[in-house]
Amino acid sequence: MSGGPFDRAEPLTLVAEQPAAANTAASALTHGHQSSAAPPAVTLEGVRVSFGDHVAVRNVTLAIPARQVTALIGPSGCGKTTLLRAVNRLHDHTGGRVDGSIKLGDIDVYGADTRPELIRRRIGMVFQRPNPFPAMSVFENVVSGLRFNGVRGRAMLRDAAESALRHAALWDTVKDRLHQPAVRLSGGQQQRLCIARALAVEPDVLLMDEPCSALDPIATAKIEELITRLAADVTIVLVTHNMFQAARVSDQAAVFLLGEDRVGELVEAGATDELFHEPKNPRTRDYVAGRVG
Amino acid sequence: MSVASAVSRRELVRAAAQRSLTRRRINGRIAQALCAVAAVASVAPLVALLYYTISRGAQVLSWGFLVNAPTPPGIPGGGISTAITGSAEIVGLALVIAIPIALLAALFLFERSGRLAAALRFSADVLTGVPSIIIGIFAYALLVLPLHAFSDLAAAFALAVLMLPIMIRADEEAMRTIALDLWEAGIALGARRGRVARSVVLRGALPDLVTGNLLAIARAVGETAPLLFTLATPVAAMTLLIYTDGTQAFPIAQETAWGTALVLLAFVLLLSVAAKIAAWRISRRAR
Amino acid sequence: MSSDSTGALPREGGPVSRVRAALLQKRTRPGEHAYTVLRWGGAGLFAAVVVALLISIAASSSQALAHSGVGFLWSGTWNPAAGEYGAGILVVGTLLTTAVAMVIVVPIGLGTAAFLSELAPGWLAGPLSTLIGLLAAVPSIVVGLWGLIVLTPIFANQVEPFLASMPLLGWLFRGEAYGPSILLASVVLAVMTLPTMVALSRTALAAVPVADREAALALGATRWQAVRKAVIPAARSGIQAAVTLAVGRAMGESIAVAMVIGNRPALPTSLTAPGATLGSAIVNQFAEASPGLGASSVIALGAVLLLLTVAVNAGGQALLRSGGGHRAGTAGALR
Repeated sequence: MSGGPFDRAEPLTLVAEQPAAANTAASALTHGHQSSAAPPAVTLEGVRVSFGDHVAVRNVTLAIPARQVTALIGPSGCGKTTLLRAVNRLHDHTGGRVDGSIKLGDIDVYGADTRPELIRRRIGMVFQRPNPFPAMSVFENVVSGLRFNGVRGRAMLRDAAESALRHAALWDTVKDRLHQPAVRLSGGQQQRLCIARALAVEPDVLLMDEPCSALDPIATAKIEELITRLAADVTIVLVTHNMFQAARVSDQAAVFLLGEDRVGELVEAGATDELFHEPKNPRTRDYVAGRVG
Repeated sequence: MSVASAVSRRELVRAAAQRSLTRRRINGRIAQALCAVAAVASVAPLVALLYYTISRGAQVLSWGFLVNAPTPPGIPGGGISTAITGSAEIVGLALVIAIPIALLAALFLFERSGRLAAALRFSADVLTGVPSIIIGIFAYALLVLPLHAFSDLAAAFALAVLMLPIMIRADEEAMRTIALDLWEAGIALGARRGRVARSVVLRGALPDLVTGNLLAIARAVGETAPLLFTLATPVAAMTLLIYTDGTQAFPIAQETAWGTALVLLAFVLLLSVAAKIAAWRISRRAR
Repeated sequence: MSSDSTGALPREGGPVSRVRAALLQKRTRPGEHAYTVLRWGGAGLFAAVVVALLISIAASSSQALAHSGVGFLWSGTWNPAAGEYGAGILVVGTLLTTAVAMVIVVPIGLGTAAFLSELAPGWLAGPLSTLIGLLAAVPSIVVGLWGLIVLTPIFANQVEPFLASMPLLGWLFRGEAYGPSILLASVVLAVMTLPTMVALSRTALAAVPVADREAALALGATRWQAVRKAVIPAARSGIQAAVTLAVGRAMGESIAVAMVIGNRPALPTSLTAPGATLGSAIVNQFAEASPGLGASSVIALGAVLLLLTVAVNAGGQALLRSGGGHRAGTAGALR
């Protein structure tokens, strides 16, 4: 990467154009330099997540373009992770309440006809700390998702495992250790294993919740490189509190900050370059310049 | 890997996920139902025990039952008062023996670390798992055989040995969680160890100490095997009375057994519930 | 020689902790001696009790062991009237009743723990688990009384004939069935060890990090799939500890078993036949044992029981301490 930390070597990739929605200052949509016919992978409209009386994040309207890396950035505690978990319905099990609309393509994620198990297969997740299943081997971990979803067939599983591991840049490292316990891998390798595991079920979207925060810089660099490559096949939504990482890796970014009532809100969203160099919202400018958060 | 095969794999996975969902959900429901059945099966014995003990014991229970001494067989109007007071005396004596030793040993472990303390802790843990019948044999070999006589003291000793390891560990635990900082502060201020221990540690950890010991007491009250080896007559303690009367074929004897069981059960459950409430109150205050 | 320092672990190394360490070091002051003596006295008394226990049991069983030799352990006959003393048949009885009890307790206990920990609605789990825990407080004599008076006729008249008629396993239950039996004893043992199994399994399941369950859900698993394939395997060693400790408890239970097992030290031909265990034999035989060799043999049975339970319990404690799933190589690992 040449120039300053926020410069990127590659030109901006295609960004989807969105119809205008709410006009409050706090809501924003992705703007595009060029328009494209590709529909967004995930659309959020007026999303609010609350736990009992306490609202964690509110009024989020955002379109996640397909096959690109969208970063959700902002200081910790602003609801980024909470929002991410709303996308794949993890809040069904945490007692969080999700209002507003979240759509995967045309499908309403929270629709009455939607089966959570099926939608979760299509929206994969990688967690902050690598969490391979400790009782399983490397191979069993990678194919665990397939097995959960009823895929049998040894040959099928083996092919899928190899493909997923190659995509996660882990195949060469583990191909001779497929049947060893997964916990024997190093932290960075475990995280790539978790990525492979998520990829194996062929999701449309991959949610990544600060995937490098528990890893050392070298492992982080490998995963960042992996992310940019994976975006060609799968839409990636990345939560990170590291502005530089967002600048390195993402095509779009959405900035979340705490409102006055200590509720997280979406402040501005747009192409990463624009956001960092010519932010439209003064609060974004403050955050990006390091004056806030 | 060709694009075609990748696409077909995607389709395969999607189809498999869809197809298997109903089966997976049904399996889940069945498993959930079985687990619920298991939970019911776990509560059922308690319910059954309570039901039978209360219904059969209540038939015999009366004020006279509690207050009168046993009468020879065939003569009505007897009660189990000697057993009740006997149990109380023996447990009381056991507490007099066990509580101070447990407290001092716990203070010892609290202050020391090292192999000696570790060995002591390990033996306490092992001793908690020793069957109570072995402890009865121990008391028999130590106190009954040489003196050629059963005695309340031997019974109390057996119960004390039973309670000792439980109390030591509970006491030490209480001291460590509550009073560690207080103790260090006291020592750093220059006070004598013994004084600090008395005024700060014991006072601070008192609620936890009481709670931990209540459970040990509840256990000791309900023990039978140690008493088999150390007591002369069945009417000297409730548990022994239940055993002797319960194993006889006469209905009257069995009735007495149920009545005694009801009294015993009520006492032990009350004690356990009291310990739980105390523990809950303490943890609430700590928050 | 370790100084009489505080049992606390040192905090961060730094000036504050050094000052603290200096202040906490042993200083003999007047009046402290009494306190130190008391503490050592308490610990010493406890240690003396433990040692005395071992010595007295060993000494009292020595007569029997001298008479029968090491064969005492597995000699198959226990017939005091004929002067034959062998623990073998009783060890078999102990193992058999414990095994059957575990067949009942492990599935029910694990299922209950899974229900309480993962599947039950929040308001139910707490009170229900308290209720199950109360079962542990019930004195064994009361359980034995209930087993003897209430369960024996039910088993003799209904349960055992029903079991004997079962297609696959019926052969286990055929034979005499007039009540006191290995089966009944096993059921009583199951009732007594169930709370232990439930409580420890529940702890093991609760110790599994939430992230494991979420990872399974995020792949499209149903709730039960997540529990079965992600949570329970991760809790494996805690569950093993629970089973081991339950086994230890079952082996040592004597009074309740003695009341329902029928006191027949012979190889059982079916589960519905009477039998005997180490614990039940001690209870049943002690009163009538002839002084000298007889009594010593009964005490020797106690020694065997002691060895068995201590070995199993120590194993269980070790399993508990060694903890659950490992997460090696996270946070800051190289590469």
